[in-house]
Amino acid sequence: MTATALSRSAGNPPSPGERFGKHVLFTCAALSALLGAAVIVVVALETVRFFGQVSPARFFGGLTWTPLAEEPGFGVLPLVAGTAQIAAGATLLALPVGLLTAVFLRYYASGRTASVLNAVVTLLACIPAVVYGYFALNYVTPAIRSVWPGVEGFNGISACLVVGLMILPTIVLLSREALGAVPNSLLEEGVALGATRRRVLVRLVVPAAAIGIAGSVVMAAARAVGETMIVTLAAGNPTGPTWNPLEGVRTLTTFLAQASLGDIPAGSIEYGACFAVAAVLFLLTCGMHAAGGALMARGQRGNPGAARS
Amino acid sequence: MSAPGPAPPALSTERLTVRFDGKAVLRDVSIEIPLGRVVSIIGPAGSGKTTLLRSFNRMNELIPGAKTAGKVHFRGVDLYAAEIDPAEVRRRIGMVFQEATLFPKSVFDNVAFGLRAKGVEGDLHGLVEEALTVVGLWSGGAEVLDARALDLTAGEQRRLSIARALALKPDCLLLDEPTAALDPAASAKVESIIHALRHECTIVLATSDHTQAGRLSDLTAFLDSGRLMEYGATQELFTNPRNERTESYLTGRLP
Repeated sequence: MTATALSRSAGNPPSPGERFGKHVLFTCAALSALLGAAVIVVVALETVRFFGQVSPARFFGGLTWTPLAEEPGFGVLPLVAGTAQIAAGATLLALPVGLLTAVFLRYYASGRTASVLNAVVTLLACIPAVVYGYFALNYVTPAIRSVWPGVEGFNGISACLVVGLMILPTIVLLSREALGAVPNSLLEEGVALGATRRRVLVRLVVPAAAIGIAGSVVMAAARAVGETMIVTLAAGNPTGPTWNPLEGVRTLTTFLAQASLGDIPAGSIEYGACFAVAAVLFLLTCGMHAAGGALMARGQRGNPGAARS
Repeated sequence: MSAPGPAPPALSTERLTVRFDGKAVLRDVSIEIPLGRVVSIIGPAGSGKTTLLRSFNRMNELIPGAKTAGKVHFRGVDLYAAEIDPAEVRRRIGMVFQEATLFPKSVFDNVAFGLRAKGVEGDLHGLVEEALTVVGLWSGGAEVLDARALDLTAGEQRRLSIARALALKPDCLLLDEPTAALDPAASAKVESIIHALRHECTIVLATSDHTQAGRLSDLTAFLDSGRLMEYGATQELFTNPRNERTESYLTGRLP
């Protein structure tokens, strides 16, 4: 406010062009906020309507998800379990590789190696999900089946591996940021006491960044929860129970993708069920994003030396 | 410029030049630190005091873009020779940084860190308590061992960082601005510790407070723009500086 007042007092009232530009910017900002709000409102209204027909107890407590069957089951837990299975598997696979890559980038890579590796990691983040999906279906799954013939054509392992690859850049880049908040002096103090760099990194530096690294993992897991295309192509979309990672896995997202292809009449119970699933997915990813962001911010604050390093 | 004194040097440099990204921070410095003495390095900010200290225990090589030319010897051994383990160098030649970064752990774990890294087995309590006694942080109560290091006062933190280095029983101790940002009472305590340590090890301290150099050291070196301008007995250098720059600095005419 003060700055505006000062610049205006210099004798230049805002020109018509400037005022017009400001209006355009405001309209754009308002429009995106409005559209986002509209999506949330529609999902919320349809979900509420659905809960008028199917009780929340049946939705959250039921163990079968067969909305199109003669006697439909509207229990969302199998979808949540499938999502958890893929997201947890992918995150567990990506965490060690991602964290070690982040440590390497921050503390070992010299200028040239670092820039090449950075480019590769950034490239991974640019690959469209559908390309990853075909890679999973046509290369990863056959490779798994050649060493483990019991695995089905659509399976959770392949999906976990390739979703893990997709979320790797998130872990690498955000963990490196968390490590960057640890003051260099911590490493120097440890080394000056006669410890090897490796020991100081393992015992002091990585633990000091642990909260921020946890944040990066939650952010990456949120991406895995929302991932649709890779999981659809790699894990199929079985209608039966999905507890075995050697078989296909059905998740919140792959159900929605499949439902959008069929012709579910608007206003039907099944139609409402889709919105309820979307609401669960939305709350899950939103909550994880918020939690991950909060952890990363706490990691930055917990390392007050960040500014000095 | 070799130092007076009969003892063989604990540390010495020969035409030591250190560059960071091509910019020389130390130029052609040749200095001998006699065994068992306290040597102060004084000079204006940016004169290379810290870099000289850090070249004695190979800490500069942690900085990307640092290049060291010339020789550094520890009791006649070339510290930068290929077969020398830098971790061993840093255990023998301990360092206390200007702004101590304590580990977010207990007092005990802070002092034990170097011992564990060295591979010392068994109960470390004796060694830890011994080091804490030297710096006046140990009075027999176990609660100090479990205290969080970051909860200590600034003065106690500085003394803990000295204890951490002392636990390894180093031959030499490098102290960078040991009393910077401490209040007078805490400074006096640290100075009395340094005074007592003169019998345990060779001490090199960098200080921008030349009265401190006068109080603590046998020998004083004056660095200016990365060059060793003058080096000799502290008393002599303070009362009768041979170099014009030294005199200007001591009389407050240099920043």
